[in-house]
Amino acid sequence: MSDAPLLEVADLATHFHARAGVVKAVDGVSFTLKRGEVMGLVGESGSGKSITGFSIIGLIDPPGRVEPGSSVKLEGRELVGLPPADLRKIRGKQISMVFQDPMMTLNPMLTIGTQIRLALEAHETVSGAEARRRAVAALAQVRIPDAEAKVDFYPHQFSGGMRQRVAIAIALLHRPKLIICDEPTTALDVSVQAEILSEMKELVAELGTALIWISHDLAVVASLADHVCVMRHGRIVEAGPTLSVLTHPQHPYTQALLDALPSRSEPGKLLAGGVGSDVAPPPRAAKQAAPAVTDAAHYVRIEHVAKRFAQTPGLFRKLAQKAGLSKAPAAVQAVDDVTLVLKRGEALGLVGESGSGKSTLGRVAAGIYAPDSGSVRIDGAPVMSAGEQPHKVTTRVQTIFQDPFASLNPRMTVGDSIAEGPLAHGLVERAQAKAYVRQWLAAVGLNPDFADRYPHQFSGGQRQRVAIARALAMQPDVVVCDEPVASLDVSIQAQIINLLIRLRQELDLTLIFISHDLSVVRHLCDRVAIMYRGRIVESGPAGEIYDHPQHDYTKRLLAAVPVLPGTATT
Amino acid sequence: MLGHVAVRLAQALVVMLVMSVLVFVGVYAIGNPIDVLIGPDVSQELRLQTIAQYGLDRPLWEQYLTFLGRVLHGDFGRSFVFGMPVMDLILSRLPATLELTLAAVCGAALIGIPAGIYAGYRPDGFASKLIMTVSILGFSVPTFWIGLVLIMAFAVELQWLPAGGRGETVSILGVEWSFLTLNGLSHLLLPALNLAFFKLALMTRLARAGTRETMLSDTVKFARAAGLSEWTVLRRHVLRLIAIPLVTVFGLEFGSTLAFAVVTETIFSWPGIGKLIIDSIQSLDRPVMVAYLMLVAFVFITINFLVDLAYVGLDPRLRKGAAR
Repeated sequence: MSDAPLLEVADLATHFHARAGVVKAVDGVSFTLKRGEVMGLVGESGSGKSITGFSIIGLIDPPGRVEPGSSVKLEGRELVGLPPADLRKIRGKQISMVFQDPMMTLNPMLTIGTQIRLALEAHETVSGAEARRRAVAALAQVRIPDAEAKVDFYPHQFSGGMRQRVAIAIALLHRPKLIICDEPTTALDVSVQAEILSEMKELVAELGTALIWISHDLAVVASLADHVCVMRHGRIVEAGPTLSVLTHPQHPYTQALLDALPSRSEPGKLLAGGVGSDVAPPPRAAKQAAPAVTDAAHYVRIEHVAKRFAQTPGLFRKLAQKAGLSKAPAAVQAVDDVTLVLKRGEALGLVGESGSGKSTLGRVAAGIYAPDSGSVRIDGAPVMSAGEQPHKVTTRVQTIFQDPFASLNPRMTVGDSIAEGPLAHGLVERAQAKAYVRQWLAAVGLNPDFADRYPHQFSGGQRQRVAIARALAMQPDVVVCDEPVASLDVSIQAQIINLLIRLRQELDLTLIFISHDLSVVRHLCDRVAIMYRGRIVESGPAGEIYDHPQHDYTKRLLAAVPVLPGTATT
Repeated sequence: MLGHVAVRLAQALVVMLVMSVLVFVGVYAIGNPIDVLIGPDVSQELRLQTIAQYGLDRPLWEQYLTFLGRVLHGDFGRSFVFGMPVMDLILSRLPATLELTLAAVCGAALIGIPAGIYAGYRPDGFASKLIMTVSILGFSVPTFWIGLVLIMAFAVELQWLPAGGRGETVSILGVEWSFLTLNGLSHLLLPALNLAFFKLALMTRLARAGTRETMLSDTVKFARAAGLSEWTVLRRHVLRLIAIPLVTVFGLEFGSTLAFAVVTETIFSWPGIGKLIIDSIQSLDRPVMVAYLMLVAFVFITINFLVDLAYVGLDPRLRKGAAR
């Protein structure tokens, strides 16, 4: 019995029957999992890895359907075709699941204790006191300090990592035989991810639970799994022991995935697999004949910048505060006296975890936020006007945002989006705008005929190219990139990184590259500044910071990054 | 919390003050109430005497200040038409409207929310489609027409329920209520149903939209993955997550119905406040209009405040000073 596989998945096919046709999200997946084994399921978005997880626990919503002929056996018992009531008894009790975003999975309206009680009552009858005792024990098990008091907290009172621990505690409540984790650390900071990973490893070993770890991140899977399956287009293209798959990949797709990782190639070089374009960007508009650079060594000067976010009270609220009836809301010091200087043509990586103030600093540098104090100057000229209501006075700095879904207007064609700024600032005539847009689309590796399309007709990577074209069409000298590759798959990420490397050289751009991903920054940037709680704790040449970090925070950050086996050390 | 209440009270005072000025000026611009109060064939002497008696000969600002001074002592003046204190007049009519409105809004919520959740949970079922079709009717058919149809069907043809009036009332704390007697309830049913129809449709559609969205959320998926039954998921998770817009609409609808239930009250000859305000506008009965509209402003601000309190009760993220 002990040698029998815990889970046998054979020919699993999950298809979505839409009006437009059938989408084969999962198309004949087979694998087996022994007791206590940890399996990594790796793939890019749309590979069907999450749908595989949902198919196993029977949570496929119409129009999706697990096709006849599929088989999922838990300890020899066939799960496909079980009535919903029987499946429900298995969910949470024998197989449980943890999701990607702990902000979304826990109900914000209920206390943690209540949510744990609901999960307990799903399979057992428990008294209130007993439920509370077990909830406290469950929280303590996932290393939540002061569990006795935390039971009565609401999800918003926890950090992201703590919330994910709560979700894991709920998944562990009934001592399931199998836990399916769907990208559980993707939404978390690296240091938190490292903690959760090591805790998860211990818990699984301690309880003998089998684990399916679904992820797009090869390094994370490598640090956890005994066994790895690589998925593409609904099929498993390669499976085997983690070490041998990652060091000696057999399938070209696995090889391509590995090659696309910036951590595995030499900094500054184009990444393999990221096919770029070699169409040159359009020349600078004659209107601004390349301004003579006065001080190339101090090209961008960010001096003593501070930014504080506070609510401005209304008239009545002010009166009430005066009368002592209400208190002023707490303010957040996002950026605290930061000074940075960039050379012309330099790429500076701004690294920090969420809440470190890196995005705020980037927005101040780009002239989106006015700093409370301090100044930003490009080539001696201020980015913001002075006065009570400062506004941006230059087009020489532009921004590329993280989310290409949110940053493009869905009701404008991408051509109009790209042309909007240059037209408004007279960089091109209306008659030439079309040709100008086509040149830029070609320069970022898109078909120029796409100019008439709307953003929803593009994939995430294509949209990010459009966003890059839009920023560069303003002919800036400085570009602030705010996590431009954070929401993209590795192979798409490689393409965008290559594009940025090439365009930077061709256009002699100065880059401020904001990211939480240390390997991307290492690859792209000459210099790195580490941000922590609104301050720069360390900065210097990229190689030096990575090899000889001085500040404790930098050391912790670097140690937390999961590393692939056999990574070329640089 | 105390600061919050103080801010709201201050806002209420300002709105009520603005309201009173607007009504004062507005009525002055429309015409002289004296022409409505006395016939055209009255002698000039009597006319002047009446004008002086009501203080209508003095400049408008003086009339307004006098009025304001009296209000500070709790006296809203006497109705030109009824000749009795305005507050007594309004308070004698308000309970009727209050019970009608409460019955309509609560009924709409109690039926509409479960129906909407069901329709959102099983969007493709036959019952759901039926519910949604009926709700479209509720939106598109005018209230007065539904009222007439209800009277035709239940009062004239079937003769199950009375066509109008308030029926027997029971006096509690000096106020007459009709929902405590069977006869009173039978009088209440049709107008409440009539008034509830639109709100029922609104609640149903809101609950359905919220449920459909929430059912796809990770919260629901996670709850299901933990093995919770569908009933528990709906009752404990979904209902809670869709509550905020429902409470908002409940409050808004309650306020607006209370203030403007005129049509239904007229059709069912319900002796409520809606009829009173229409009559007083027609006869330019300024004291009643001013007091009534100030009351409406106050009621709206109170309801909004209660709705805000309900938000805080429902959503812990809105509680200030919660430990982070």
